[in-house]
Amino acid sequence: MNTLFALTKRNVKLFFKDKMLFFTSLITPVILLVLYVTFLAGVFEDVFRASLPEGTSDKLINAAVGGQLFSSLLAVCCVTVAFCSNMLMIADKTNGARGDIAISPVRRSTVALSYFIASAFSTLIICFAATAVCLVYIACIGWYMSFADIMLILLDVIVLTLFGTGLSSLINYFLSSQGQMSAVGTIISAGYGFICGAYMPISQYGSVLGHVLSFLPGTYGTSLFRNHALAGVLSEMENLGYPSEAIASLRDSLDCNVYFFGNSVPVGAMYAILGGFTALVVGAYILLNVFGGKKRKNKLKQKAQ
Amino acid sequence: MEESKDDIIVIEGLNKSFGEIKAVNDLSFKVKRGELFAFLGVNGAGKSTTISIMCGSLSRDGGTVIIDGVNIDERPDAVKSEIGVVFQSSGLDKQLSVSDNLKSRAALYGICGEAFKARLNELTDLLDLQKLLRRPLGKLSGGQRRRIDIARALIHKPRLLVLDEPTTGLDPQTRKTIWRVVEKLRRDEGMTVFLTTHYMEEAADADYVVILSEGKKVAEGTPIELKNKYTGDFVTIYGATEKQIQSLGIKAERRGDAYRIAVPDTAAATALITAHPDVFTDYEVVKGKMDDVFLAVTGTELAGE
Repeated sequence: MNTLFALTKRNVKLFFKDKMLFFTSLITPVILLVLYVTFLAGVFEDVFRASLPEGTSDKLINAAVGGQLFSSLLAVCCVTVAFCSNMLMIADKTNGARGDIAISPVRRSTVALSYFIASAFSTLIICFAATAVCLVYIACIGWYMSFADIMLILLDVIVLTLFGTGLSSLINYFLSSQGQMSAVGTIISAGYGFICGAYMPISQYGSVLGHVLSFLPGTYGTSLFRNHALAGVLSEMENLGYPSEAIASLRDSLDCNVYFFGNSVPVGAMYAILGGFTALVVGAYILLNVFGGKKRKNKLKQKAQ
Repeated sequence: MEESKDDIIVIEGLNKSFGEIKAVNDLSFKVKRGELFAFLGVNGAGKSTTISIMCGSLSRDGGTVIIDGVNIDERPDAVKSEIGVVFQSSGLDKQLSVSDNLKSRAALYGICGEAFKARLNELTDLLDLQKLLRRPLGKLSGGQRRRIDIARALIHKPRLLVLDEPTTGLDPQTRKTIWRVVEKLRRDEGMTVFLTTHYMEEAADADYVVILSEGKKVAEGTPIELKNKYTGDFVTIYGATEKQIQSLGIKAERRGDAYRIAVPDTAAATALITAHPDVFTDYEVVKGKMDDVFLAVTGTELAGE
């Protein structure tokens, strides 16, 4: 246990002290912020003004735009930060640290677990900090959130972080060079914002792409954030007596409702999809480490005989 | 090969190939407890491959490796606890402080808390690390980093210290410091030292030497045995005239003010001197160097001398 704790502590420290890894992990959220500041916020504001009755308060519209930004930011942060912090697993292979650890009697599974825990922990620190900043921002521009919404958003952060950490652990297990590390980092940083619907709602994509993206668990992670970050705003609209058709249409266009071949996926099912997929990738990662180690030991014995 | 209690390493019929390349070819040798053992060969001769196999971080194609009476296939963790390795390239974390590096590596051997503090104090005294402990490893000079590498190798009090080219690229002062520490460990703790080096004067101080070429053992013995077997003696004459040298009737090489004559052995040198007392008024007889042995055995010179 002490060994696991010490290795995890080492991995967390290394992530925060390695400026390249740390700043790379923030590229996607920064891109998103730049997109919002430069034009996305304006585009969404125009859409809300056009689809809501005249006289809708600026506070409500700002809260809707802010909720959109908040949910997008967290949806990308939880996954891209997890991928980048877990790059340490590959960096250790290329810079000799893994070799140095391998000459000690520590179990391979302990080392693997330390990467997983450290990556999840580092990601949670950054994402909770981002959540706090976003909540302050929302409070400044228009607050309609309940305590339950905040709790559910924190739950979403944990669920999506575990999903990102599990997926990155499984992918990084097979990578062992600087080139592979850069390639995966670039693909995730550049592409994840699009495929999870953070840069633009999936409802805006064509139906074929929409169907394809409905197979990706990340889509449901973004939708969970959308549901909980915008629940207060949508509830206020109901209270103000806005037409239910207009609100339903808004929920669709904001990706609060995600459809799997025409069927709306409820929030509970979204958690089940993310949880199930996370369990699957984490299970695969555990099996690879346990059986990979046993296979290696057996191979050594067979060769020696 | 018979195993004795005096032997800390017994390697028999070791084989390892990388694709078509036979890195280690039917290698067998033994290392006695408390010995300074030199393992020599040009780059690519199979030294580091052998060390990696001994440490359990690389699989082998065949052969037996027994460290301190334990077969590495039977109890690899026990073997790993007995070996400390200083690699050619450090596997420590450049971003972390020296203290953090040693703490995380000590934990790999289950050394934590007070036990770590006590061991760190011992190593700080031994290697004069006091001023370095809080500094990031990446900010240290090459010599300082080497001292940290040695501290990491010694953190768990191993019985066998493997030094893979520990002094390459270091200034004479640091080399001297490192050898002072190694000598102290051998003297006070009876530690066995397994050394690979490019510096032949370091190999000349070894108790036993094995020379590798293309993965095969090509020579072994004590430095004196190897010198006697593979090189002759050299007689250097000072203050003799060219005419006197010519009168000897043998080939002499001019070296500044002196002449150097190669003779098969010390007996031949004695015979030559006693036959020409008028020429040999100021002279010295020296044995061939390990460089000459290496050249005679492998047909190549070691780089880095």
